[in-house]
Amino acid sequence: MLLRPGAKRQRRMFKKILIANRGEIALRVICACKELGIKTVAVYSDADRNSLHVRFADEAVCIGPPRSAESYLNIPAVISAAEITGVDAIHPGYGLLSENANFAEVCETSHIKFIGPPPDVIRLMGEKEKARMAMKQANVPILPGSEGVIANADEAREWAKEIGYPVIVKASAGGGGRGMRVIRKEEELENFFNSAQQEAAAAFGNGNLYMEKFIERPRHIEFQVLGDNYGKVISLGERECSIQRRHQKLLEESPSTQVSEELRQQIGKKLSECLSQIGYVNAGTVEFLMDEDRSLHFIEMNTRIQVEHPVTELVTGIDLVKAQILLAAGGKMVEIIPRLDRKGQRGHAIECRINAEHPEKFTPSAGKIKTFHTPGGLGIRVDTAAYAEGVIPPYYDSLIAKLISHGKDRSEAIMRMRRALEMFIVEGIHTTIPLHRRILADPDFQAGNFDTKYMERFLARLQEERRQEVPVGA
Amino acid sequence: MNQKELKELIEFLIEKDISEFELERGDVKVRIKRGVDAQPIPVIAPIAAAPAIASISPSVAPPAAATQPMPPAAPEAPKAEAEEELHLVKSPIVGTFYEAPAPGAPPFIKPGDHVQAGQVLCIIEAMKLMNEIESDMTGEIVKILAANGKPVEYGQPLFSIRPKK
Repeated sequence: MLLRPGAKRQRRMFKKILIANRGEIALRVICACKELGIKTVAVYSDADRNSLHVRFADEAVCIGPPRSAESYLNIPAVISAAEITGVDAIHPGYGLLSENANFAEVCETSHIKFIGPPPDVIRLMGEKEKARMAMKQANVPILPGSEGVIANADEAREWAKEIGYPVIVKASAGGGGRGMRVIRKEEELENFFNSAQQEAAAAFGNGNLYMEKFIERPRHIEFQVLGDNYGKVISLGERECSIQRRHQKLLEESPSTQVSEELRQQIGKKLSECLSQIGYVNAGTVEFLMDEDRSLHFIEMNTRIQVEHPVTELVTGIDLVKAQILLAAGGKMVEIIPRLDRKGQRGHAIECRINAEHPEKFTPSAGKIKTFHTPGGLGIRVDTAAYAEGVIPPYYDSLIAKLISHGKDRSEAIMRMRRALEMFIVEGIHTTIPLHRRILADPDFQAGNFDTKYMERFLARLQEERRQEVPVGA
Repeated sequence: MNQKELKELIEFLIEKDISEFELERGDVKVRIKRGVDAQPIPVIAPIAAAPAIASISPSVAPPAAATQPMPPAAPEAPKAEAEEELHLVKSPIVGTFYEAPAPGAPPFIKPGDHVQAGQVLCIIEAMKLMNEIESDMTGEIVKILAANGKPVEYGQPLFSIRPKK
C-alpha cells in the first residue's frame, strides 16, 4: 500500500467485516471480530444453513447452493453479499478465495479492504517459480534447481545433470502433489517430464514446470510472518509439519526439535528483510524443506493465515487473526505487537487435525454427529464448528476440529494431547482421533524421529499389524 | 372475535402445529404467525363460503391430516389446499431487489398479471450490474414477496405464481 508523499495516514478500525469462508476458520475470525468490537457478516451455502458461523455472526447471507464453485468460490455472490450488508472489509480465511489475486483485486475496486497482502504479492507467491527466484535474489536459501520455467524434456535433462539426481519436477502454477514427479535416473526423465506437464496443464491450466533437487527424507519446517503497511515484517518462529499423508498435514508442532535458536534468528532476519523489500503485508507462512544436514531450503510461501496458526499463537501468546485485522486497518507493527511481547517462544505446542474420516481407510465420513464432547483443562484448546446433532455435509473438506495442546516442554505437550485425545468423544461419524492416539503413542514420534515419509511407514506398519491379526485357519 | 375466541384459536393452532394463519371476517382480519420453521407455504384460494376467508399453512406434511373444519371456515379448506400449490420464484443471486426497470418507472409486473416462463419479473442489482430475473413458470402472479430496494439472498422467495395448467 503506497501512500503519496505528504498524505495523511488514515487509520480507522473496521466497523463490519464479512468472512468469506465457512467452518472452524469462519468461527475463528468471528471470535477475533467480537473481541475487537467489530460486527460480522457470515456467508453460507444451502448446505451450511445450520452452521455455527451463521449462528454466531451478526448477519448472514445465503450466497448459493452447496457446491463451493457456486457459493463460497462464487466471487460475484460474495462481493454482492458484502455490498448489501455494507461491510468495510473481507477476511478470506484459508483455502477458498484466500490466495485468489483476482478476488483481492475485485475487493479493492469495490472499495472493500481485503485482509491479506496486495494482489500483486499474492500473484508473485502464487507463481512458485517466480517466488523461488525472488527469494534467491534476497539470499534466502533455496533448493538447487532450475532457473525459470523448463521448456522441454531436453532442457530438463540438462538441468538434472547440473543439479544431480534425484530431482523433482513441479508445477509452477499449483501444488498439492499434482504436476509433480520424482526422477531418479536419466532413463525415466522424458516420460515423467511429459506426464507431469500434462497433469499440470489439466489441473492448473498452465503446464509450466520447474525442477528442484529432491531430498529423500526431508522435514517440513515453516515460518510464520506478519507485515504491516509501513514496511515492517517480523518472523514469529517456526512450525514443524512433517507428519503428513499425501501432502496433507495431520499434525503440527512448535518449536521444531531440529531448529536451533541460532537458525531461527538467522532465517527470521533474512525473511524480515526479503519480505519487507517485496512489500509483503499481513500474515503469511514461508515453507522450507530441511535436509539431513539440518539445512533449510525455501520451497514456497502461503499468503494467508494457515490452518495450524493456533500452534504459533500458543507459543508466542499473540492472536494472529486479531493481528491480521489490526494490520489491515492500518495499524503499525510496533503498536500491535510491542517489542516486549516478542519474548520468543514459550513452551511447546502440538496440533492434531481431527478429520471426519475413517481412521485407517481415510474414507470421508459425512453425516450427523450424535455425541460431541470436547476435552478441556489447562493447556488444551479446541477450534471447531462441529456440535452434537450437527450435520457434516459431504461437499467440503473433512476437517471438523483442531485439537491443540500446550505445555512447558514437548513432553508435557505430548502428555496433555494424549489425555485430551482420550477424552474427545465424537459419535455418529468416523474421525481420525484413534489415528492421532496411535501417533502420539509411537516411540519414534515421541523421540522426534520423523520426516515427511513418516506416515507412509507408520501406515504400512499398521496394515501389517492388521494382516497379522487375522487368525490362522479362519 | 373476542378474546376468548382468539385464545381458543391460538390453542387450536398450537395443537394442530399450524405455523401461519390468516382470517378475515367482515372488517376484522386476524393474522397469526408462529415461530416454527416454515416449509414452502401452500396458499389456499378464497373459499366459496363468504364472508369468511381462511388460509391455513400447516408446518408439517401431510396437510390433510393437520386440519379439521373450524368455525366458521368451510370444510372444503383442506381439499382446496391440497389442489392449490403455488410456485415460488426464488432469487438465483445475492443483491438488491427492484420491482421496476428504473426509479419512477412502472413495475414490471403486479399481482394478478399473467406471465410467461422467460418473462422478466424484476431486476436484482449485484456489483453495479442490473440482472434481469426471468420467470421460470407460466401463470398468474399471486404475490410479490420481496421488498423494493431491499437486499435479497440466494434462494429467497421473490414471487408466488399460480401455475397455468
